[in-house]
Amino acid sequence: MDPVILARIQFAANISFHIMFPTITIALGWVLLFFKLRFGATGDGKWMEAYRFWVKVFALSFAMGVVSGITMSFQFGTNWPGYMQHVGNIAGPLLAYEIITAFFLEATFLSIMLFGYRRVPGWLHTGATFLVAFGTTMSAFWILALNSWMQTPQGFEMRDGVAHATDWWAIVFNPSFPYRLAHMLTASALTVAFLVAGMSAWRWLRGDRAPSVAAALRTGVVMAAVLAPTQLLLGDMHGLNTLEHQPAKVAAMEANWDTRGNVPLVLFAVPDEAARENRFEIAIPSGASLILRHEPGGVVPGLNEHRGAHPPVAPVFYAFRVMVGLGLLMIAAGLAAAFLLWRRGTLPRWLLRGLVAMTFSGWVATLAGWYVTEIGRQPWLVTGVLTTAQAAGPVPAGSVGTTLAMYLTLYVLLLAAYVGTLYRLAAKGGAAVEPAMATKGAPA
Amino acid sequence: MTPFLPPEWLPVVFAALMAISILAYVVLDGFDLGVGILLPRVAEEADRDRMIAAIGPFWDANETWLVLGIGLLLVAFPAAHGIILTELYLAVAIMLAGLTLRGVAFEFRAKADEPRRKRRWDHAFVAGSLAASLSQGWMLGRYVLGFAEGPAALAFAAMAAVGLAIAYAFIGATWLIWRAEGALQRRAIRWARSAIWPMAVGILLVSVVTPLVSARIFERWFALPEMLLLAPLPAATAGLLLGLGSLLRHMPLPGDALRRLPFWGAVALFALFFAGLAWSFFPYVVPERLTIWQAASAPESLSIILAGAMLVLPVILAYTVLAWRVFGGKARELTYY
Ligand code: HDD
Ligand code: HEM
Ligand code: HEM
Repeated sequence: MDPVILARIQFAANISFHIMFPTITIALGWVLLFFKLRFGATGDGKWMEAYRFWVKVFALSFAMGVVSGITMSFQFGTNWPGYMQHVGNIAGPLLAYEIITAFFLEATFLSIMLFGYRRVPGWLHTGATFLVAFGTTMSAFWILALNSWMQTPQGFEMRDGVAHATDWWAIVFNPSFPYRLAHMLTASALTVAFLVAGMSAWRWLRGDRAPSVAAALRTGVVMAAVLAPTQLLLGDMHGLNTLEHQPAKVAAMEANWDTRGNVPLVLFAVPDEAARENRFEIAIPSGASLILRHEPGGVVPGLNEHRGAHPPVAPVFYAFRVMVGLGLLMIAAGLAAAFLLWRRGTLPRWLLRGLVAMTFSGWVATLAGWYVTEIGRQPWLVTGVLTTAQAAGPVPAGSVGTTLAMYLTLYVLLLAAYVGTLYRLAAKGGAAVEPAMATKGAPA
Repeated sequence: MTPFLPPEWLPVVFAALMAISILAYVVLDGFDLGVGILLPRVAEEADRDRMIAAIGPFWDANETWLVLGIGLLLVAFPAAHGIILTELYLAVAIMLAGLTLRGVAFEFRAKADEPRRKRRWDHAFVAGSLAASLSQGWMLGRYVLGFAEGPAALAFAAMAAVGLAIAYAFIGATWLIWRAEGALQRRAIRWARSAIWPMAVGILLVSVVTPLVSARIFERWFALPEMLLLAPLPAATAGLLLGLGSLLRHMPLPGDALRRLPFWGAVALFALFFAGLAWSFFPYVVPERLTIWQAASAPESLSIILAGAMLVLPVILAYTVLAWRVFGGKARELTYY
């Protein structure tokens, strides 16, 4: 197989695996801080119990995020040597700032947060929890600044084929960055909301009615009800920003071939790139024009304007529908659950089961969103500056294939172990809190 | 941002920062990986738990030095990063798989509800530590020979792989001498005693081979004024080895005196060895192919990183010291709250 394709599959596999865990840790860190502060304010032990349960999930997710992140930092050199040669002057400082402002902070205070409860004063433990949550958010800030710059680059000039920075403020705060940062942080919070709600609902259904389970369930439901509608608004604004800067991507998302007015909102279709048309289309007339231009006759650019230089249509189109579909489902589930909790104080079984089914829905929506963003940028790696093929390295297909097989095997095993461990943690519940990393009663 | 250092100095500063990060990584994760390599020598679960508790609060921050070292190579010398990582493609992949297994095994074994599962993660922990150590040693061997091919070069890389694993086991043992007590500490002393001489052979081997690889490096060490100026380096290494060897023969001392000394001695040994390598290769990042000036990024970009690093590195050092103080003393148990 073509080594460039293999290198792309490998990169996509590694980063997809990586992003699943930061998605959890970014928001779960803040949720833990919330539990800790509630405990401090109310003195109610249920908050500390919730903290103790979820800190274990956090520790496990964090470890998975760290080890897969280490892999990411080698991927640039091994798979995309051309990337750093051309845009290293921009990417380098952003990556370096992530390391020095975020990674050391998280890694060091994590040990105090996890193992320091009995060794340090309470304020320092709470402070460590804050710094870990802050650190994960800083990671997201820097890496998304870089990713957004790759989508909508500015603040640089090209000299001999190499990008040189001219304005760092413009580079960091490039046009798509505020939208992407807000949308991704909210995606992380929604992923955690449904993880917390889903696992708590499962414990509740199994008869584990501890006050800490109810508190966590309520926390997850309230987060979902507030943030799911917010995400719809943020996503819409993000899409309008993309329409301005990457019109070919939006055309692929909508599977819209011709530039015209009254563009329908395609609910379902099978885009056929060879024939340059949609099959089995189900659409709302003028819907897309309404959403993107706020008037039925609004003209929306189509794919045929970018013939030969637009992303593959089908994956972008489907992934976008998966994300938005799940987003709408999250709005429905979040609002229904919050309403029933408010009116009745409990949730009916069918809704609890629904929440259990949606435990990992945030992962699916987040990955789908990233596929829209990243595949939608093709054939560019840095829009208008560097194509993906130009950045690929000289590693032979055999080596890439072998290591790809190794990574995939490892990821499948680790994912199974991770989900299995969450399941067993929830099954054990708060009762049999795991004793210790080391034995109690070691000789003094 | 205008460069505030003469541009030709920036690559030197970054080479130094990178060297310090890599040395910090090798020392710090070296002891974690070493403890992982030593784990199978202990059968009792309580002792295994204590060994892991001795590194539990440290490994994550320790590993971050690798991210910084490789990150600095990437951002300051992108051309070299591409060449080196492409040459070492498979070894890097094996190291990453090893570090992955080792890192998650900590967490999974802590949450294992059955002894069978816990033992399975122990195996993953050991296998990961070993794979990471061996592949790092292999990379060192390939790098020293300028990525030469052929059976002799590969045999040398294989020896370097084993040598580095032994060196990690040694520094891991000295860490346990500091952090463990009773029978486990006595075993750690025995491990350190049996690892020190094989490690010395490894150091000797790399030191002898390096100057033979290129006339330039040979000149560096054996031309006349330099030879005398550099003599303290091998002399200090030899002295340190002999001193450590005799200290280990007399340990444990009454009142647990000098328990930290073997570890800091090992750190000094690693630093001396590393300084020797740095002296040989400077100013090349890719041996005999690419100097730090040829490989460096644009000065504006390096300056902005340096400005940030000078602000942030003291803060990182301060909170690292804080964490070392919080988790000072003997490792007994490590609970989550
Ligand atoms: C939106 C968030 C996000 C995204 C898109 C990425 N990361 Fe990440 N990364 C994090 C958010 C994060 C985090 C939440 O901050 C992690 C998870 C656990 C941790 O230690 O920090 C992390 C860990 C982490 C680590 C380990 C840090 C440590 O040792 O503590 C590395 C080296 C990277 N990442 C590198 C990357 C690279 C090279 C990426 C893209 C190409 C990337 N990450 C995408
Ligand atoms: C974390 C969520 C992310 C996911 C799930 C993701 C997914 C993907 C996918 C699927 C591709 C392959 C696209 C294709 O081959 O058609 C890709 C490529 C790439 N992405 Fe991302 N990406 C993510 C974030 C990032 C970030 C934050 C960066 C920047 C640091 C980045 C940089 C790249 C690069 C360099 C490539 C390789 C070239 C390419 O194939 O486009 N990605 N990513
Ligand atoms: C409900 C309606 C939603 C809309 C209208 C929407 C809209 C969008 C758009 C237009 C993009 C592409 C941005 C680009 O051009 O690069 C995007 C990306 C993304 N979406 Fe959504 N989204 C929605 C829901 C969700 C949900 C529920 C999640 C996850 C829980 C999510 C996670 C993501 C992620 C991670 C990305 C990639 C990063 C980024 O570019 O921001 N989205 N979304």
